[in-house]
Amino acid sequence: MPDVEQPVEVSPKLTKTKNKKPIGFYLSATWIGTVVFLAAFGWVLPTRSWDSADYDALGVKPFSPNHPLGTTGDGYDMLSGLVNGARISIFVALVGVIIGGSIGTFIGVTSAYYRGMYDRVVTMIFNVMLSIPNLVLSLALLSVLAYSDENNPTTTSRRVGVLMLSLTIVVVPILGRIGRASALQWAGREFVLASKSMGTSNPSIIIRHILPNVAPAILAIGFLAVGSLIIVEGSLAVLGIGVPGGASWGSMLANGRGNIAYSPHEVYMPAMAIALTVISCNWFGDYVRRALDKRESKI
Amino acid sequence: MSSLLKIDNMSVSFATPRGNLRAVNDVTIELLKGESLGVVGESGSGKTVLSRATMGLLPGTATRTGTITYNGQVISDLPKDEVRELWGTGMAMIFQDPMTALNPVRRIGAQLTESLTVRLGMDKKAAKQKAIELLMRVRIPDPESMLRKFPYQLSGGMRQRIMIAIAVSCEPQLLFADEPTTALDVTVQAQVLDLITELRKESDMAMILVTHDLGVVAGHTDKIAVMYAGDVVEYAPTRQLFSNMKMPYTEALLKSIPRLETPTGSRLPVIEGRLPDPTKNEPGCPFANRCPYVTDKCRAEKPPLTNAGNNHYYRCWFPIGGEK
Repeated sequence: MPDVEQPVEVSPKLTKTKNKKPIGFYLSATWIGTVVFLAAFGWVLPTRSWDSADYDALGVKPFSPNHPLGTTGDGYDMLSGLVNGARISIFVALVGVIIGGSIGTFIGVTSAYYRGMYDRVVTMIFNVMLSIPNLVLSLALLSVLAYSDENNPTTTSRRVGVLMLSLTIVVVPILGRIGRASALQWAGREFVLASKSMGTSNPSIIIRHILPNVAPAILAIGFLAVGSLIIVEGSLAVLGIGVPGGASWGSMLANGRGNIAYSPHEVYMPAMAIALTVISCNWFGDYVRRALDKRESKI
Repeated sequence: MSSLLKIDNMSVSFATPRGNLRAVNDVTIELLKGESLGVVGESGSGKTVLSRATMGLLPGTATRTGTITYNGQVISDLPKDEVRELWGTGMAMIFQDPMTALNPVRRIGAQLTESLTVRLGMDKKAAKQKAIELLMRVRIPDPESMLRKFPYQLSGGMRQRIMIAIAVSCEPQLLFADEPTTALDVTVQAQVLDLITELRKESDMAMILVTHDLGVVAGHTDKIAVMYAGDVVEYAPTRQLFSNMKMPYTEALLKSIPRLETPTGSRLPVIEGRLPDPTKNEPGCPFANRCPYVTDKCRAEKPPLTNAGNNHYYRCWFPIGGEK
């Protein structure tokens, strides 16, 4: 019998230094954790009601004992507003990315795998969709599907629904393209052919062999997309067609715009929440990509 | 012994922007149960296409003609889904480069049990047990912990053993080995080949071994088909071929293997020139431009496949050692 090779062992010390996480990872993970926790369980916290004004405290500066982050000029508590706003902002962005990302990844990966006419049509549609600026698209959808004036007001939930729809449509071609580009690279690899030669069916190859390889790219861009959708939501609110009444971060920013001269914290606070969340999403996405990147280059 | 695989007049061509590329011309080969055939030729001679075409693993741009009979059943005109039924359980393939033929993000265990659960319908526990057995059969130490490893943690030789384990997992009757040792270092090559031969003997599995190295096929095959520019130019039982070769190309291939007894500093023997353009269909013997014994007849007319007796066929006007 021929000599038996010894298994390659990676020393624990080496693995440890390799996996050392940068400080940014902890910061961003903590921030995302906090925001997601507040978005999910903010309503059970003993904060003030976000939509009833405290008329004894109009435009209070931050760090006051009763209102840690101050109040707006109309006496709404900023902290409760931010906690409540997290719910809508995060929910809208997450739903957009999860639904849009799933649809986009599915279409992109299958088109890269099967190629042919299907692939050409998909690429063309993605290109057309990407050529429409996302703000314009959302504006058009919102003003048609959730039109609102004094005589026929729309409900907030309808607004949020249409907003999510438009954000989903924005995400589909972005992640679809990433998924397609990445899957193209993997579909031509020999292990796909090897699995095929063992009689594995095409859908099974896509799920077992292509998707796990495409996932790091999709997740990284997915986190980036969460960040940009939060910004899109804010922009729409500032344009006056987002979620009304200070119910989201963007909406709070839009409401506070007029008071920036004498109570700037009304703008800074939601803007800071948005900025921190977006930066954290980018950092975290980058880390996820590196952590999932188990391939030859890692040796 | 009965016939396992019969390839009759198979040709493969690819549609390319420069025209039709003929990769395999009119090949006829027969393989008995448990027998092993070596397909030898230089890069671009059509040997890999031959093995993939036989299995039906060609890309969409390829056209295949001719008949392939497997176990008495004509499989060349079966729809894709029915051919797939044979893959893994009837025919399986070991790929050339074990570095790329394993999925880098999935554990060895998952890749090894994939065909067991999908094709043979085993439950997870049975599949894992079988996977451990397979790893033991391909001489991998500590198979349990191997199941949890990723391909990047293994050396080339280990990965090729895993590939072999995957290929034989559903107990195929016919194994295609597409240059299984080319990407490995020389000391491991012999081990891997011996392992394949041992596994073949254990389960009476037939094999088509594709390689460019005549030395590799010598000890591991029953017969050899030498390919050049898509043609089978010599086809004979292994012993017969080495003792009485007819084809100048086979001789040139054998001469270009470096030997220990050649004096230091002497040049490596090479076959001058290159393969003819496969998109053009020129008259004459395709090897004419590189052949040391070339005559005018060779340039004008393509030689037919001639029977020299003893199951020895060659494609040459002026075979070495004369006619018969």
